[in-house]
Amino acid sequence: METIIEMRGIRKAFPGVVANDNINLVVAPGEIHAILGENGAGKSTLMSILFGLYKADRGEIFLRGEPVSIDNPNDATRLGIGMVHQHFKLVHNFTVTENIVLGQEDRANGLIQLEEAKQKIIALSDQYGLKVNPDSLIEDISVGMQQRVEILKMLYRDADILIFDEPTAVLTPQEVQELINVMRELSNEGKTIILITHKLHEIKSIADRVTVLRKGAQVAVLDVATSSIADMAEAMVGRPVVFDLQKAESTPGDVVLSVRGLSVYSPVYKKNVVNDMTFDVRRGEILCIAGVEGNGQTQLIEAIAGLTESQGEVWLLGENISDDSIRERNLKGISHIPEDRHKHGLVLDFKLSNNLILQNYFEPPMQRRMMLNFSNINEFSASLIERFDVRSGKGIHTNTRSMSGGNQQKAIIAREVIRDTDLLIAVQPTRGLDVGAIEYIHQQLIAQRDQGKAVLMVSLELDEVLSVSDRILVMFEGNHMGEFDAATVSDSELGVAMAGGNR
Amino acid sequence: MKRWWQRSALAENELFVSSLSSVLAIVIGLLFGFLLMVVVSPSESIQGFRIILTGGFNDGLLSVGSMIVFATPLIFTGLSVAFAYRTGLFNIGASGQLMMGALAATAVGVPQWWRYEGELRIAMDNPFLQLGSWHWVAALLAALLAGALWGLIPGVLKAYFNVNEVVATIMLNYIAMFVNSLVITRYLFNSLIGRAFSVVPTALFPRMGMENIFTDGLRSSQANVSFFIAIFFVIVIYFVLNYTVFGYELKAVGFNRDAARYAGMNAKRNLMLSMMISGGLAGMGGASLYLFAGRNLDPVLQILPQGFDGIAIALLGLGSPIGVFFAGMFFSSLKVGGQFLQLLSFRIEIIDIIISVVIYLAALSLILNRLVLYVLKREKQ
Amino acid sequence: MKKLLTLMLSVTLVFGLAACAETATEPTPTTPEETTPEETTPETPTFRIAMVTDIGDIDDRSFNQGTWEGVVAFAERNNITHRYYRPLEGGTAASLDAIALAVQGGAEIIVTPGFLFEPAIFQAQQLYPNVRFVLIDGVPQPGDFSEFLVAQNTVSILFDEHESGFLAGYAAVQDGFRELGYFGGVAVPAVVRFGVGFIAGANYAAEELGVTISLGSDRFDYFGSFAPSDDNKNAAAAWYLQGTEIIFVAAGGAGASVMAAAEEAGAKVIGVDVDQAGESTTVVTSALKQLGVVVEQALQAWLDGAFPGGETQVKGASNQGVGLPADFSRFNNPAATEAAYDAIYPLVASGEIDVPATYEELVAFLTAEGISTANIPLQSDVE
Ligand SMILES: Nc1ncnc2c1ncn2[C@@H]1O[C@H](COP(=O)(O)OP(=O)(O)OP(=O)(O)O)[C@@H](O)[C@H]1O
Ligand SMILES: [Mg+2]
Repeated sequence: METIIEMRGIRKAFPGVVANDNINLVVAPGEIHAILGENGAGKSTLMSILFGLYKADRGEIFLRGEPVSIDNPNDATRLGIGMVHQHFKLVHNFTVTENIVLGQEDRANGLIQLEEAKQKIIALSDQYGLKVNPDSLIEDISVGMQQRVEILKMLYRDADILIFDEPTAVLTPQEVQELINVMRELSNEGKTIILITHKLHEIKSIADRVTVLRKGAQVAVLDVATSSIADMAEAMVGRPVVFDLQKAESTPGDVVLSVRGLSVYSPVYKKNVVNDMTFDVRRGEILCIAGVEGNGQTQLIEAIAGLTESQGEVWLLGENISDDSIRERNLKGISHIPEDRHKHGLVLDFKLSNNLILQNYFEPPMQRRMMLNFSNINEFSASLIERFDVRSGKGIHTNTRSMSGGNQQKAIIAREVIRDTDLLIAVQPTRGLDVGAIEYIHQQLIAQRDQGKAVLMVSLELDEVLSVSDRILVMFEGNHMGEFDAATVSDSELGVAMAGGNR
Repeated sequence: MKRWWQRSALAENELFVSSLSSVLAIVIGLLFGFLLMVVVSPSESIQGFRIILTGGFNDGLLSVGSMIVFATPLIFTGLSVAFAYRTGLFNIGASGQLMMGALAATAVGVPQWWRYEGELRIAMDNPFLQLGSWHWVAALLAALLAGALWGLIPGVLKAYFNVNEVVATIMLNYIAMFVNSLVITRYLFNSLIGRAFSVVPTALFPRMGMENIFTDGLRSSQANVSFFIAIFFVIVIYFVLNYTVFGYELKAVGFNRDAARYAGMNAKRNLMLSMMISGGLAGMGGASLYLFAGRNLDPVLQILPQGFDGIAIALLGLGSPIGVFFAGMFFSSLKVGGQFLQLLSFRIEIIDIIISVVIYLAALSLILNRLVLYVLKREKQ
Repeated sequence: MKKLLTLMLSVTLVFGLAACAETATEPTPTTPEETTPEETTPETPTFRIAMVTDIGDIDDRSFNQGTWEGVVAFAERNNITHRYYRPLEGGTAASLDAIALAVQGGAEIIVTPGFLFEPAIFQAQQLYPNVRFVLIDGVPQPGDFSEFLVAQNTVSILFDEHESGFLAGYAAVQDGFRELGYFGGVAVPAVVRFGVGFIAGANYAAEELGVTISLGSDRFDYFGSFAPSDDNKNAAAAWYLQGTEIIFVAAGGAGASVMAAAEEAGAKVIGVDVDQAGESTTVVTSALKQLGVVVEQALQAWLDGAFPGGETQVKGASNQGVGLPADFSRFNNPAATEAAYDAIYPLVASGEIDVPATYEELVAFLTAEGISTANIPLQSDVE
């Protein structure tokens, strides 16, 4: 077989963990090759080696049959390799054009020639249907568009091997479809694509072959056409995976959270991004806020948690908490799995145990006479890691920044679920998790419900919304578009509401 | 194959690796100084280098005393900068806070103040004189408060108006300089010497019998209790940062303000407290400079350099209180020891050059850090 | 990673080159005046004459430099080893450390410039009874002025600043200046004496010539510091704008502010302490303390075995301790002014003209000479 990429016997160890162990990755030209594996299996690490971010401890890389040494991303770029990272690497106060040309500036007379670059970007974006505004600042554009910028960045550098690390985790379903179309287009152009994703149906719909990793080792290379989703899941987890979530009927009890006429004004958009929202969440039920990204879900949750100024009232267990501080709300019974794990969820420079006590460090037994009690903290953290299967190199002493994205998310979920509060808010709790972990999280949410907690969830994924929740509330442009029974509602009914119809 | 040092547990220890880079910076700086001396005067270079290495021990216990005295304000300002840094703040204003502390300590410590009736200048007794043997404590506290207040200003500006603390603290350095000059010339001025009045003996830091230790039999150094106060605060700050709930919060706010807020911490309050503590430490540095026999505050318009030295010391000490202590002692040892180069045909500016190189390299320590890691981790193909 | 190494190397190289360049352009970071030939023994050489500087550098164009020039001139003439020592920082303790270092370096006589050394010498003269001390512009005291003690191994040298100020004021008016001004740094006694002498000299010359001058309350002030600043410059610029032709500035480094203002206004300045002609072309002359002269006198006495230990000497016109620089070329009428200066100097030296040192003496002096005191600055301005 003709190959364009061949990674042979790759090994990479970090303190306490072997992230890649004797991996052999073979990719044919023009192929779309998926990489599948649980959180922390070593997917990002393997791609970082190919892109020159890490140096493998052992092993060789052949490109187009030639042995190569890729010491840094510049080498990779020169060899025609581009990469879109799991967490984007864009300069937020630069424009789209500036970000794309960064490091490749064409300098005539010592000045950067942006106009030419802009024309080239416009041409590329037309060719592949990657809609961007070259003059917008990164901080002003949506996540989906930021991703298109990252893709353009690769194309601008004439890459013909394109690596996508979990590109769909942050996208809305529509954007996912657009991205799949773009990848097809690129593949037809003869470009080779390596795709990391946890979503098996995406692999099924677009990839040619899939390499499966488990705990750093390569366990299978499957032909997508002849493998079922269940096959792939089993290869990855090492046991059959239940896709059908088993859950009992919900038996809603007292109202736990009551939101009355809540509005959030945005000075940027000069209007209410959350507009007069009124709803209740009861014990023993999971209410899911559905909607297309950017319709006020984020601000609604921040207002309930106290992170954002708002008008209207929030009642918790019959008490008006509208004027309470964040700390008071938390103590009165709110747990919150935040949407943005790097911004709100974690202090990345803390070690893992310090992140696991972020919500209870000030309470005994984590603290005694205002001194941290390390033996209790360590014991507590270790038990969370064990119970929620948070994988990392050095356990509770791991630097959180070095953890894989999925395991960072699991750490947050562990911390919030264990708090045992009356209300659990979960915003996109499974973003970036592998199927096994998703299954586990879903079960946890349902278990919380069954223990009589009220669960308020936000999700962009219709599948998740339909399978986990008991009731669904649709938001569109900050407005309440109606509530639906998850057991009986149809996809199309939801779709119409999410698009703002039937007002 | 891995070399033995690459396999050792030390190579995995981040603290060890980063300390190594500071040590490396120092070694390179010293070698550079040696090279310079070889160029200037080959015949004396060995002797000169020995003097530099011997540092504060060149003249026995007497110069050890001088080293302690010189190190004390540097440890305070280094601690101030390091503490702010660990809580996510860049305190460039340690100099200003130190000057305010020095001014407050002097104001409490001098025998008399001037007051004005119209144009008429009238002497009045300093009410603090009545404190007797507690006088110096009051002066130290005044310095602490003045520095803390001077640190609080940029803290408030940052917390409520989102003013970058780097800009604010730099500006406040200048304001402190003018305030100093104004207050000294108007209220504390001794026209016989053109400086502030001398601090009365009760307001001086007690020497606690150290004059009998740090002496060459003829003279004694001015070593005093302020050195131990500095050590005390090194330990306190180390303890607060690493073992207390308060320190945990401060660090969380410093590393990620949003996450700290999400977890219910009062980010604004913590930020202001952080700047106050940082300022207070620098303020005490000011007291340690001037609650001192034979030193008088000068109304000259000049920003005292100790605050800026503090930045370098915090850098070299890797932002850790213990590291700051050693870095401060190292600086002081070089400076005090460097004096003895004057017995040879070297200028003491060689010491400043060495220090500059060390700082420069310490600033590059990120790179050095990686270099060390690289050497430790590299595998022979 | 290779790049990193290269970077490191180049950084080191740049450093190295910069340092070489530095040592190349300035080939003698050693004290150039070292007279001992190539020292081959590793024994520390000894330096018999030492000077300890104040916080400033040796080339401060002021006390350090003036004193050091005297030391160097004398030592080279007599072929004696000499060296200066810089203290680590300001304050008595650091000065004492530097003095101790000088003693360790073999000093037999140590010269210290400036009154800030008073407390240090007070202690040093007792600690090192076998070493001689020359304290310029000060008298040893313990720091609180509770006693003054010039020990048998010490000589204190003071200056009649008022005589120097008198000569400057006299020469300026003789030269044709009529609109005068005076800026002091801070109203310490020495600076006050300069000012009082200046008023006396200017008015004396005006009376001689039968002209009127203006040097009143609005032209007599103190900066409140010895450091240059924009405020100081603006104050001087305002005076120049109002027609002041020449300002006598007795304010150390703050003089630079006045010179800057003078350069912009096209006006003139009288410097202080040392010859400041080199700092600005606006400096017509300077009211000198002849640091070099008195240092050489003291060292000569020591070499002759006649060290005037225990004495406080006041150097004035009578022993060439004060005066104006020999170069009169920047005056409007160099020859005439120099002649007038040469005529008045002996009168001051002999005491025939008893130059006032305090405001009271000033009033008495002018009254005795029959000069009106109506237009001189008020006492509250001067003291
Ligand atoms: N820089 C690093 N330092 C230490 N350990 C690391 C570092 N990067 C990754 N690891 C560890 O290596 C393992 C593999 O991480 P990697 O990011 O490759 O996982 P992944 O397969 O991409 O997971 P996810 O799906 O969660 O993104 C994890 O255990 C992780 O903690
Ligand atoms: Mg990953």
